[in-house]
This record gives sequence, structure tokens and C-alpha cells, in this order.
Amino acid sequence: MNVAQQLVNGITIGHSYALVAVGWTLLLGSARLVNFGHGQMYMVGAFVAWWVMRMTGLPYLLAVPAAVAMGAVIGAVMQMLMLRLTLEQNLVSLMIVTLGFGQILEGGAGFAFGAQPQRLVSPLEGIDFRFGPVWFTAQDLLLVVATIALFLVLRWVLARTVLGSWVRMVAEDPKLTQLGGVNVALVYMGIFAFEGAAVAFAATLVAPRTPIMTSMGFDQVIMTFVVVVLGGIGSVGGSYAAGLGLGLFTAFFGALVSPAYTTTAVFVLLIAVMVLRPGDLAAGRGFAR
Amino acid sequence: MIPVLEVRNLAVSYGGDAAVAVSSLALQPGTLSGVVGANGAGKSTLVNAIAGWSRAAPRVSGSVLLDGEDVGSLPAHEHVRRGLLLVPEGHGVFLGLSVEENLRAVRSPPSSSVRRAFSVDEVYDLFPRLRERRANAAGSMSGGERQMLAMARALRLGPRVLLLDEPSIGLAPRLVITLLQAVRRLVDAGMTVLLVEQNVRAAVEVVDTLHLLERGRMIASGPVAAMKDDPRIIEAYLGASHG
Repeated sequence: MNVAQQLVNGITIGHSYALVAVGWTLLLGSARLVNFGHGQMYMVGAFVAWWVMRMTGLPYLLAVPAAVAMGAVIGAVMQMLMLRLTLEQNLVSLMIVTLGFGQILEGGAGFAFGAQPQRLVSPLEGIDFRFGPVWFTAQDLLLVVATIALFLVLRWVLARTVLGSWVRMVAEDPKLTQLGGVNVALVYMGIFAFEGAAVAFAATLVAPRTPIMTSMGFDQVIMTFVVVVLGGIGSVGGSYAAGLGLGLFTAFFGALVSPAYTTTAVFVLLIAVMVLRPGDLAAGRGFAR
Repeated sequence: MIPVLEVRNLAVSYGGDAAVAVSSLALQPGTLSGVVGANGAGKSTLVNAIAGWSRAAPRVSGSVLLDGEDVGSLPAHEHVRRGLLLVPEGHGVFLGLSVEENLRAVRSPPSSSVRRAFSVDEVYDLFPRLRERRANAAGSMSGGERQMLAMARALRLGPRVLLLDEPSIGLAPRLVITLLQAVRRLVDAGMTVLLVEQNVRAAVEVVDTLHLLERGRMIASGPVAAMKDDPRIIEAYLGASHG
């Protein structure tokens, strides 16, 4: 086994997990929401970028903001539909609604984009860096750098800005937040728009690594769920660490045992952590860390 | 005089059970009105309904006029924007935010002749203890300090009318006096305050007008000097030895 190469693979995969999970982490930490439509939002992000490039001939780097904008709109629309349930914190209904929302997105995408696998082509995939036995692409590098940047910006906004204070206030006590003169519905909408935009952004950076299919949402939702749970429900820094750790685990498990059992192994890991250290997984008000 | 705040035919019910029915309540500008009554009389329900806010889901009818505008049907944050501010009972601050974040996370309106929005420094001058603890998490503070912080945040929002729900609850007697004297000074400077208080002995020392609430109904109202002699108040709250 080429240990150095697996390390690089693990770091890349890990950052992709973390980047895909960042929006859900904020959603869970602030609005206490689980979004089982998250994976399908990822899929739509990838397909919107692909479709924009194909239909308009725009280059990849301009298709990214288009997909991000679409993701934000989808997130905001989702929030408008679920506002009442969100304010009531009706969690079971919300889970089912998000699950249904994801299915609608998947059906709609199949109808709009077809059932064939496609490729979201990034020119950065073709730029290689080689250092002795190790190689990676410019796309991998962009993914890692963008993920670190997004996590740092998110932490800074949460810890240092008034907007971040509002998100933390809503996370702690949405009713009391109203008495601070804050329109809680608008804050929730912003959080959902961020979730949609962030997962679409992640999709445009991660999806060029593999073929894209309208049915790929489910796999994403599973891995993201594991990342946010292992990260300590809703903890921003924890999700980054969990994504990275899971990526390294996936890379080495795949190399040492078999890639076929990676998902199973990840769930064994998840269950083991939840049984052994359940306290770490409880949603707390320290999610901004 | 034209009242700043006027409540007409306010009725609040929870799942069909009537909790409060107040036909009229008016606050004159620059006065301190007290609402007293036993536990469960509906005091919190009344001020919450005036602020258009609740942790539960009550059914509210009637009108709440702020400077003549009916704000009754507006969401809670719109009441705040218009200067109708509530400091709720008990949990009134964000425990995960620092003292300073609690104060800075609200948007102060421009100060006017009828709404004074306190700067962060001004509320620190009013409550020096908060300045000392500005960097601490609100969750690490005592009950009295949290109460000061909750009130300070309301002052940042430029109250036209300040509704205080049991600010003295859980506080040491000396702190209760300090707090109510601070409220009195704000009123003397022109603010209009409605104070819900279970500590009637302390309340009668500072309020101008007293309202007695029983089972959701206002059974007596009047200037505090007269209400102090009301047998229902003396019997239930002040004891025979009073005045």
C-alpha cells in the first residue's frame, strides 16, 4: 500500500465529506433540523452546474455560482414550505417532509435531466501535481482549500458578527429571539438558504470526481448524516474533524480491506461511538465552535 | 391625557379555557403601573398577550393600541420594532452568548423624544456589574445579573413601553429594592412601564398605579395611595400591620 497516497486520498475525501456536511451542520445546530432531502439537494447542485455548462456553454467556474444560487433558492423555498413546522419544532413531521422533498427533487431531476449518468467536467481535473509517489489534481486542491476557507468563514461569522449572534440566539431560544426584535422566520430562511447554497457548492466541487446520476442523493445523505452525528450534532468544528477523520478511515479501510464494505464499516464505527460516548453527540449550545 | 398604551377587551384562552379577560387597561406616559395578584391569576398571560408573545399557543382576541395604532395582530418582533418591549419572566437572556453579545445583537432604533435607545455604554453605566462581566457567558451569571442583562437588552431597543414580568423573582431582598429603584428612575426620566410583581410590598413603594388581577380579571385599579388602603390588598398581600 502506498501510505502517502492513501493519506492524500483520505484528506481529499475527508474534505469532500466535511464540505457536503457543512450546511446540514448549521441547520442542525441552529434550527435543530434534520434534512433528509440534503442528498438530493447535492444531486440537484451537480446537475444544475452540468446543465448550465451544457446549455449556455459557460465555463465550469461560472457554472459554480449558478448552481450555488439555485441551491440557495431551493433552500429558501423549502423553508417557506416548512416554516410553521420549524417554528413548532415538530421534528418527526419535519423529517418526513424533508424526506418527501428530497424524493420530489429526485423525481423532478430525473424528469428534467434524464436517467443517464453524466459527467460534470472541471478543467481542474486535468491538472496534476506529482510529488514522488503521491499525486493529486488541482480539483482536489481547490476542494481542500475551499472547504477550509468555508469552515473558517462560517466560524468567524458565528462567533464575531451580529448575524452570527442571531443564528446562535435562534439556536438557543427562538421565542426569546423574537423579543430581541429579530424576525426569526427570516433567520431560519437565511439558514436554509445557506444550507442549500453550501451543499450545491459542495456538489460542484466534489461531483467532477465521479459520474453524476439523479439517483445519487441517497448515498450522500447517509455519509453526511454520519459526519454530522460523529461531529457532535451541529458542531461546526466537530463536523470538520469528523469529515476529515471519516475520509481517512474510508481511504485506509478501502485500501487495507475492501472498498465494498466501507459504508458498513462506517456504520459500525458510528454505532460504536454512539454507544460508547453518547454524551458527545448531544446537541448543545456550543455548536458555534 | 392620551394613554401610550391602551388595552381593550383583551381575552386570552388556552385550548378553550379562558385565562385572562381584561376589558380595559390604559398606561399614561411617564408612569409606572403595577399588576399584582396571586400565582396563576394570569399576570404573565396578560403582559405576554400585550406584547403579542407567548411560549405556548394561546388564542388572543381584543386590541392593544400603542400610540393609537392597533398592534394586536402583529408578530412579536414587530411589537419590539415599535417600542413595545417585554422582559419575560425567568429565562430572559441567551445563556450561550456573552453579556456584551447579548447587548450588541439587538438593533437599536434611532433615539427620539419618546423613545430613548440606550447605548451599550449607557446600560453599563446603569448596571456597572454588567460592565465587569461583559466578556462572561450569560450562562455563568447569577439570577440577579441575568435579570439586569435582560432589562438592559430591552433598554437597548428603545422602549416606548416596557413590560417587566416579575423582575424580582429569585432575587435577594436588597437586590429587589435596587432593581425597582432603577426602574423608578427610568420612569422619572420619562419611560412608561408596566410592572408585574408578586412582591407587592416592594411594588407599592415604587408604582404610581396599581391593578389587582384575580382569576384573569382586573378586580381593582387605582392610584397606589388609595389601593394601599384597599382591604383586598391589605388582607392578601400587605398584612394587617401595614400602614
